[in-house]
Amino acid sequence: MGFTAIEKVLARVSRDEGHRAGVRAGTLVYPEPDMVMIHDGLVIDAKNALDAAGITQIHAPERTMMVSDHDVLYGSERAAQRGAFNRRTAKTWRIQNFYDVGRGGHGHIFPMEDGLVVPGMFYFDNDTHATNAGAVGAFGLRVGGEIARVLATGTTWVPVPQSVRLELRGRLARGVYGRDVGFYLARSVAAGLLPFDLDYRVLEYAGDLDQFGLGARVALCSTATEMRAAGVFVPPSARILDYCKARAKRPLHTVYPDADAHYEASGTIDLAQIGPQVVLPGDVTRATDIGEAVGTAVDHAFIGSCGSGMYDDLLVAASILKGRQLAPGTRLFVVPGSERSTKRLVADGLMQVFLDAGAIVLPAGCGPCNDAVVGPLGSGEVSISTATNNNTGRFGPRDASLFLGSPATVAASAVMGRITDARTMSADAAVLDALETCYA
Amino acid sequence: MPESFWRLRGRCLKLGHDVPHANGIVPLRLITGRENDPAKITPYLFEQIAPGFAAQCKPGDIVVAGRRFGMGPKVPGYIGMRALGLGLVCESMPVQAYRGAIGEGLRVLSPCPGVLDACETGDLLEVDFSTGRFTNETRGTTREFAPLPPELQELVLHGGTAGWLVQWAKTNQPA
Repeated sequence: MGFTAIEKVLARVSRDEGHRAGVRAGTLVYPEPDMVMIHDGLVIDAKNALDAAGITQIHAPERTMMVSDHDVLYGSERAAQRGAFNRRTAKTWRIQNFYDVGRGGHGHIFPMEDGLVVPGMFYFDNDTHATNAGAVGAFGLRVGGEIARVLATGTTWVPVPQSVRLELRGRLARGVYGRDVGFYLARSVAAGLLPFDLDYRVLEYAGDLDQFGLGARVALCSTATEMRAAGVFVPPSARILDYCKARAKRPLHTVYPDADAHYEASGTIDLAQIGPQVVLPGDVTRATDIGEAVGTAVDHAFIGSCGSGMYDDLLVAASILKGRQLAPGTRLFVVPGSERSTKRLVADGLMQVFLDAGAIVLPAGCGPCNDAVVGPLGSGEVSISTATNNNTGRFGPRDASLFLGSPATVAASAVMGRITDARTMSADAAVLDALETCYA
Repeated sequence: MPESFWRLRGRCLKLGHDVPHANGIVPLRLITGRENDPAKITPYLFEQIAPGFAAQCKPGDIVVAGRRFGMGPKVPGYIGMRALGLGLVCESMPVQAYRGAIGEGLRVLSPCPGVLDACETGDLLEVDFSTGRFTNETRGTTREFAPLPPELQELVLHGGTAGWLVQWAKTNQPA
């Protein structure tokens, strides 16, 4: 019997020589990670934990990345002090890869663009959205507060996750995007139409994947993560490999699952059946066809997050916003996933499109998606966004109504001031054409 | 390794399947408030699903639950359970919940398929977490489950990840 992608990757990095030939789901392993990542929100906790144990140095500062993405604007003195603490800690721990505010962007986006997260690698992360690494065929595993142990000792215990396999068949229709597939997946799992439980499983995609570029692959990783997947794996296409190889700052250990690998469950989605999806307030499993929500007035819109922070997402939004203005009374926050993308918006002339439309372009990072440290809602307001989830209270007040949609849906809705099917509006063809080559 | 540490003897609190952390093990406000002070958690343990238990339970009592206990990675409930000296035996636990419980030093046996059929609330139980032996003295029955994996026993013995790190530092950090 062959191995799944995660079984192969964990076999390579396991501390135990006996695991090199292969590990099976359920085995306890101690991976020696290619990288360790911690974000700005968790540094204080980790530092306090190590201080309490009398630990002054970390195990592998040269392989550790600290990223400031959750709070980059410092809207309070407390936030500024936390930033200062993080800077001092990076120095104390001699961290070699410290991406301070304004220096990288979203920690689950820019490392793929910069060749720091590459096919086949394994890393530990405090944050659950490390699953984005699956977009290039890599694994980032969330360990929460146990990141302190990983920082100190280099590893921690990991039960090898079970894998489930999802075959995507056919082609997505025009105006339907990767986030729509994720939302459709969530509703299908919740309704029992796919025989999966994603909790601590690795979701392996298979099938007609060549139509998905890097940006779309990131979108494919998002929603499964909100359903507690331990990882997502999109087998890298030749184009993805070329892109990653050209930028790689570490060796590639590209893996593909064996044809006779064991999956806990398997399912299929016919892509042609999927139209634009909207997630109704509550959580991602409340996804539905957009028709059910069309016409709902919106006060607030946001395009960005780990689920929609790629340049593709900005292009799709710009293709609808070009030559248009936001509806009076509707505000739109645009948060690129990387500083690289922000610069590219300027170079490509798309920054002007967003500004002319009346959108507010924020620095790269998590934007409102992190506890609404910027761009919150008021009580009773309605938002549509590409946030990674719409759990109650995510943008502040618990009585606000949070809808999710693709970048196209959010852009169209911000222009119309109500939830709108973007397929009913014209989109700038030249801007959309750039999708083909934006991660080439 | 003190044998008595692994062997708990006490009364059973039997819960069902799908006990959530928020508003199951502890009230939601303790989770959103990221409460980690045992004294502030223990009075509210299982408040919504077993009122009065927190005040009446004794060290050594065993919480027996069904499938998917604790759903999610939150930990305040495990901090409270450990502080009260309780053990946990469940039919299954999501990996992140299990990880959270072990990380807080809770004595846990999972998965224990069928354990709900082996006891009722109030039964006198003896559970050895290092061997997996589950004895119901009230019924006079014994079941054998998989023990807490030896690799993880060290973590629990030191009171969870924080305590384990202190021990680790004593032998691994440069002076």
